[in-house]
Amino acid sequence: MRAWIKATAVPAIMLLALATSRAEEQAEQPTPERSALDAEVQGLRREVVDLNRDLFMLEEDLLFPASTQIAVFVSMDVGTFFDLDSVQIRIDGKEVSNYLYTAREREALLRGGVQRIWLGNMKAGEHELVAFFTGQGTHERDYKRGTTLAIDKGVGAKYVELRISDRLRKLQPEFVVKVWE
Amino acid sequence: MASRLNIVLAVLAAWAAPVAGSATAGDSVPVATAPELGAARINTLDPAGLPAVKIQDLHYGDVLFHFYARDHFEALVRLSAYREQRHLNPHARDAELLRGGLYLSLGQHREARETFERLLADTTTPAQVRDRAWFYLGKVLYATGHFDQSERALRAVSGGLQIELESERRLLIAQGLMYRGQFDAAIAELDGWQGPDNWTAYGRFNLGVALVRANRAERGHAMLEQVGLLRTTDSELRSLRDKANLALGYALLQAGQPAAARTALDRVRLEGPQANKALLGAGWADAAGGDYQQALVPWVELHGRDLLDAAVQESYLAVPYAYAELSAIGQAVGYYEQAIEAYDAERIRIEESIAAIRSGRLLTAALAADRGAQSDWFAQLTSLPDAPESRYLYHLLAGHEFQEGLKSYRSLESMAQNLDGWSTSLGAFSDMLGTRASAFAGKLPEADRRLAMVDVADINRRRDDLRAQLEAALRDRDTTALATEAERQWLAMLAGVDAELAAHAGDASFDEAREKARLTRGVLTWNLDAVWKTRVWQAQRAMRELDAVVYDARTRHAGAVKARKGTPERAAALSVRVDAVSPRVTGLAVRVAATKEAQGRRLADIAINELEEQRRRLDEYSVQARYAIATIYDRASSGAP
Repeated sequence: MRAWIKATAVPAIMLLALATSRAEEQAEQPTPERSALDAEVQGLRREVVDLNRDLFMLEEDLLFPASTQIAVFVSMDVGTFFDLDSVQIRIDGKEVSNYLYTAREREALLRGGVQRIWLGNMKAGEHELVAFFTGQGTHERDYKRGTTLAIDKGVGAKYVELRISDRLRKLQPEFVVKVWE
Repeated sequence: MASRLNIVLAVLAAWAAPVAGSATAGDSVPVATAPELGAARINTLDPAGLPAVKIQDLHYGDVLFHFYARDHFEALVRLSAYREQRHLNPHARDAELLRGGLYLSLGQHREARETFERLLADTTTPAQVRDRAWFYLGKVLYATGHFDQSERALRAVSGGLQIELESERRLLIAQGLMYRGQFDAAIAELDGWQGPDNWTAYGRFNLGVALVRANRAERGHAMLEQVGLLRTTDSELRSLRDKANLALGYALLQAGQPAAARTALDRVRLEGPQANKALLGAGWADAAGGDYQQALVPWVELHGRDLLDAAVQESYLAVPYAYAELSAIGQAVGYYEQAIEAYDAERIRIEESIAAIRSGRLLTAALAADRGAQSDWFAQLTSLPDAPESRYLYHLLAGHEFQEGLKSYRSLESMAQNLDGWSTSLGAFSDMLGTRASAFAGKLPEADRRLAMVDVADINRRRDDLRAQLEAALRDRDTTALATEAERQWLAMLAGVDAELAAHAGDASFDEAREKARLTRGVLTWNLDAVWKTRVWQAQRAMRELDAVVYDARTRHAGAVKARKGTPERAAALSVRVDAVSPRVTGLAVRVAATKEAQGRRLADIAINELEEQRRRLDEYSVQARYAIATIYDRASSGAP
């Protein structure tokens, strides 16, 4: 009897092993129908990316023409003394952006990403941009700092970078505004 | 025993696949993998692998921001748009490399390959960029199963990669060799290799597997044992350690070393994904040593687990088998009956699930399960309600094919949402253009009237006259030209006096008057001469200011005229673009919807096939259990031992 039970039980376990192998085999050799579907998904994704590119540019040209465009970017260097929570931007006293950062976005800034936080329009002439940075400073203290920039907007797009960096000598964060032409 | 050897071989074959580099823990972006046979450690386009770059255009930084935030689709769209807008020129090659990488991470292998090949064909591409392009091209080719070409590309790297990428390159080469059955070459590639800790562990695992597959079992076992004894708190490495111990356990079983196998299998964590297979193997190790009492410990533990797992299903036969071996026939029969009951109940549930899947409820459940929690979908699945459509999701999602299919389905769904969003926006764009056109038409008469009032040519002419007068005064040193209004009146008065005096020339009674007039003129001339330099400076400054004002006026006028003419042209051009892009959005939305439906059907087919396979397996188990009971009763009634 013992021998028989072994004989019945063992092939059952083989089934387990063979089933695993079979599943893998299927994964390795897609059917033509499946391949066609995968190819269709890839083709569609490519077209959707291209379409989004065109629409992205169309939207910019339509809503933010170069003659009046102003873009504000946020960047972060090191970030030892400041853990960013949010950035608020006011143009001529009016709030235009109040952005709350996720952990992933903070990480992206720390890795060297530069976020285009606001894209808008501005008439030619003198304007005032005020940015408020909220977060945690050293010793986990709540920290809020503002920085002001007088902007002379001419014809053509204007790019403003709000850079958060570490001021090692004072062990404090530093908020610098730079205008790019 | 021969049968068991087969089992071990088959199980080992399942695990004896190469393992490669990892995506960042919790990373949800698609990973470029070859058909997955075993554990995998393959980096997606790794943010840490990008070289540090000094941003020379903020737009490239914006692309990097979305890339580092793992929003690869948005990063690719922005990169393509900024490239068209010529914002990325200072970073052209890095951007191109990133573009290829983004295509790779989105699973667009053809585009990725073309991008890298283009970079490599450009003889001016710097060596460091070429190395990275070769590396990523190797990854694309590996992911598409072109292992020969992949190896050639990976070997073309000339040594300029960072250590993480270099480690991954080495492992990819070895894996490709193993997929092609070239185990000796893979061993040569990995033997003695030392990389960063995580990579070294994967390298050793692969080396161990390759050695076993190359019939160099003793060294292979030693290598797997090294990985199996890793002391680590890293979840990825713990998972690898479990796999190493499982592979080692089954390899030792195959080699007829059940005690050593049991030791290796005991090291597999009880709650990990390999736990059930390890428990099953541990029981077999005990059984192989003839200790059925001890074999019951892992098998009974397995018996209490979720019946969806194949190892657990197996334990429903293994437990009564052990009791039978221990001559506990009553308990053996009881467990066989329990197995039949459990298999039957499970089969009914599978049938309910198949019906639910056919009715289309599976996808709703699958998408709800992983929406917003892609990195932790397994954890979330465990809390799903026990409904027919969701009962087997955990099991299905563990399968490579279903996972890949669901990924495509999710991608199609997000494409559909994206197109839907743009469709709404395009409607708003059209309205906006219409509103702008109406507002422009409304303001046009007043604007035209104002423009007509301004004669730029006349302003220019008058300014030119003034300039000519000033230049003449300067040339002739004509101090009277810069006289004030009062001085002019004095000069005019003196001219009148002079005329009156001329009428009385020779009349001595006018001599005093003549002398006074002469003196007055002299004083006036003196005064005009004294202030000449100051007045010249003032006049020149006024002329410069006038020039600036005239220039501004002319510029504004030109701007207004240009806007008057250009606004309708610009609006028309934008309308054309909106009109041209609208059918693309609509057409794509239709195709995406159709493909999504087909993909949904494909997922349902995969799920149903998988469940039917389970049902067939349960049927076979059930038959075996019934046959075993019948045989036991038969033997009992015939008095056979």
